This record gives sequence, structure tokens and C-alpha cells, in this order.
Amino acid sequence: MPDQVTPERVAAIAAAARVPIQPGAEARIAQAVGPTAARFAAIDLAMPLEIEPSSFVVVQRAELDR
Amino acid sequence: MTDPAMLSLKDAASAIRRRKVSSLELTKALLKRIEAWQPVINAFVRVEADEAIRAARAADRALARGSAKGPLHGVPLAHKDMYYVKGKPAGCGSKVREGFIAPATSTAIAKLEAAGALRLGALHMAEFAYGPTGHNTYLGNACNPWDKSCITGGSSSGSGAAVAARLTPAALGSDTGGSIRLPAHFCGVTGYKPTNGRVSRANALPLSFTLDSVGPLAQTAEDCALIAAAITGPDPLDPTTAGAPAWDARAAKRSPKGLTIGVPTSFYVDDLEADVAAALEAALAEFRKLGARIVKVDLPDQTAVAAAALIVLAVEATACHAPWLRTRAADYGPQVRNRLENGLAYSAVQYLEALRWRGPSLAAHLEAIGKVDVIVAPASRAVAPTIAATDVGAGAGAEAAIQAITRFMRPVNYLGLPALVVPAGQSQQGLPIGLQLIGRPFGDEILMALGAAFQDVTDHHRRIPTLP
Repeated sequence: MPDQVTPERVAAIAAAARVPIQPGAEARIAQAVGPTAARFAAIDLAMPLEIEPSSFVVVQRAELDR
Repeated sequence: MTDPAMLSLKDAASAIRRRKVSSLELTKALLKRIEAWQPVINAFVRVEADEAIRAARAADRALARGSAKGPLHGVPLAHKDMYYVKGKPAGCGSKVREGFIAPATSTAIAKLEAAGALRLGALHMAEFAYGPTGHNTYLGNACNPWDKSCITGGSSSGSGAAVAARLTPAALGSDTGGSIRLPAHFCGVTGYKPTNGRVSRANALPLSFTLDSVGPLAQTAEDCALIAAAITGPDPLDPTTAGAPAWDARAAKRSPKGLTIGVPTSFYVDDLEADVAAALEAALAEFRKLGARIVKVDLPDQTAVAAAALIVLAVEATACHAPWLRTRAADYGPQVRNRLENGLAYSAVQYLEALRWRGPSLAAHLEAIGKVDVIVAPASRAVAPTIAATDVGAGAGAEAAIQAITRFMRPVNYLGLPALVVPAGQSQQGLPIGLQLIGRPFGDEILMALGAAFQDVTDHHRRIPTLP
């Protein structure tokens, strides 16, 4: 499903984070991050359920045995 | 004799050890150059001349007693103003940190001091290390010593400019999205971004705890290896370094014969300026002559990797700064404030998916490169643009402009790979061109070996800008 970053979504996440943004900044932020969010959404992220952020270290450290 | 300020780190340390040059002579020579260059390039935020002179005299006395502290005994260095030294200011390029006095010394600085290095002062940087050009609206811009109308690259702007102008033999920078490699490329010096987890980040300013890395800019790969030997290794204050291998000085001096070098078939070679493309071809010819085997590699889609990197960086930077964004937002420069606000647009699930994908993404990268030891790629598609042309400030196109400059940087940070930028040519206008040697995880020493061999047969790293 494509990712459409809207000013309304930006305003909602900022409010949830309790971080005030500059007046009228929602549209600028949505425009700035839109291409990155869309590119990321297009990646096939089908990963085994067991993968977690620290799995990176396992892959990285395997090189030490190479 | 040669001006001591021109000596590489290795030669300066050797000259002091053999008493060919005193620490005091070297320190005075560097201070003299700083005095001349600082009004032109604004590379320092603080020069600690009196303390440096006192420390140099003490280092000379210690050497006379036969008690050299370590391999960098008596060599004065300056570092990016984000490495904390207990009791000293660390402004981090921002009004927000005005008046901040560091409560502890960063591990990297402590290790350099244990190796005998002294301190000349603190170097300029982009605000909170969050800017790839070197612009700083609060403290003024650092300028490129090759052409003061051009950017230094950032965020380690002062580190790149100061090493290029021979104001310090080496300097620590930091690299979260290219902040060591870009200034190395734009200023014509050698810059080393270590494998994530090899160098402690303790008591250095954080930007993104996943992507940050600490490393040096210096004249040569051998100089970077000297710094790496001092600062790599486990540190209880930074758990990501647990189990990190010690520096292997022998491996860093191996012959490049038999190494396999990969050249990407896309992304890093797309839309290059002619001078950059020519520098890449010339470097590959040198590597062939040195006995390396050159092969083409099809890397996984780097735009996807870069997108994941951008999400991780944006969210972690915003999380670090959230308390100040709630209370002191007006004290940030407009571009950094905007970029920090951008991090609010991503959801928690997006961020964690970007983090989860890091391991599989590294596995895919390693599968794609097979037995390749080092990938050689440009650091940027172009030489240093002007400060005016990149003065995008907080405008609507700022994020796109920033991403264009950092295009070849972000995948390396996301994948946690080591990289070494070496000067490899110059444009027709005389601006430096750097190439990045990208290694396998923990293959840092091979990068140094290849970089040193390249610098043995080329002289791009010996070019020095002249004072305008």
C-alpha cells in the first residue's frame, strides 16, 4: 500500500509526540519527507518474524569469522 | 628545514620522537598558520594557544627524561567541537549548547591523550552535526581552503578545512550521513569512517545512536591508521563496542596484491561530473597496476537503503532533541529546526521496520558483493559547490538539496560499513575530488592498506592550498 504523508498526519504525530511545530509547518514537512516515505513503502519488507533490530549485529559479527 | 606544520601525523610524531623537531616548534608552527588562515576559512571555534604551548613544553621535558607517553607523543591536534573534554566548553555548533561545560571526557579524546596527543583547540561544525554543507547560521560558515566561496562539506566542516590548510595534522570528525567523508572529498584530505562498533562514541555528541561513528580526517591513510590504532576497541561506556576487535596494524600494511575491488554498475556511477568520472577511471588503473583485481558489482537498490537510513536518522535525531524542541525551539538555526521537525512525520512502525530491515539489508549487500574486498566509488558526483548555491536554509527545497549532496553517503551508514575517502584528483578549477573505498564489516585495515598503497603511487594527497 503506498504511503501518502499528509499535513494532517504530520500534525497528529507531532501532537502525539508532544512536540510543537512551527505554525503552518505541516505542509512543508509532508512535502520534505514524502519522497523518502514513498520509497521506503515500496520496499518488499517481508522478513522472518524473528528478525529484530539487533539481528544486524549478528550479520555484521559473522564477518569476523570469515 | 621543512615547515613542521606541513608534516603528516606520522612524520610529525616520528620527528618529535627522534628529536628532529620539538613539540614546541611544531605547536608554534601550527599556531602561526592558524593565525593566518583563521580569518579566511573560520575553521576553529576556539584556539587554546597558551594551554597548547604549556603542554608542548611539558611533552618536550618528558621526552628529554626518556618518558614518551605513546605513539603520538607531543603532537598537537584539534577536533570537532562535539568531543567532550571534562571542564571545557563543547558548543556543538549551536546556540542551544551555549555555556555547556562538558562533565566528562570522550573516550576517543582520552585514548588520543593516552597516546600522547596534545590539544590545539576546537574545530567548527554544522549545528549539532546535522548538515552536509558546512553552513552555520549561528557561528558563520566555515570556508573551503581551496576556494573560500565554496563549501567545506559537513558536518565536520572545521576538521576538513583545518587538515587541508595544515592547521592540525589530523582531526576527529563524526559520520552519521557522510560528515567525515564529505569534508574529506570537498577539502582534499583523507577521511576514515570506521565499521560501526569499532570506535566508542561515549561522551561525544549523539545525533543518531544507530548510525553515528567516530573517526579521523588526516593527510594520509597511514595517518588515519595511526589514529585508528589509538581509538578503536571495546569501551565499557559504549556497549556497541563490546567484542570489537583490536586494531591489526599488520593487516593495515598488507600488500594490495590479490585484493578484489568491486566497481558498482549503477547508482554510484550515475550522472557523474566528467572530472569525477575521470578520477575514478584513473584510480582504477592505479589499483590494477598495484595488483588488485577489478570486477563489476550489482549492488542491491541503494535508493531503498538510503530511504531506510534517512528514516532512522530523522527519527533518532528528533528523539534526541525532543526535550529542547519543546522548550527552546527558537534557539535552533532554521534549517536544523526544520530537519528535526521532519523526523516527526514518521510513525513508530516505519522507524522500527527500517531498523529491522538493517540486518537483512546487510546480508543482501554481502551476498551481492560475494568475495569483493573493497568497493571503490566516488564520494560525490561533483566537486565542492559554492556556499551561495547551496545556501538553501529552511526553504521548501532544502531537504531535496541535502539529499542530493549526501546521495553516495547514506547506504554506508545504514549498513555500518567502514569507508575511507582518499584524494584522487582535481577538477579543472582545481577543486579536490575524493573517492571512497568501502569495505566489508570489520575490514577497516584493508581500506588503510589499499589507501596507503594508492597514496604511495599518487600525489593528490600532497597538494596544499595557498593562502589567498
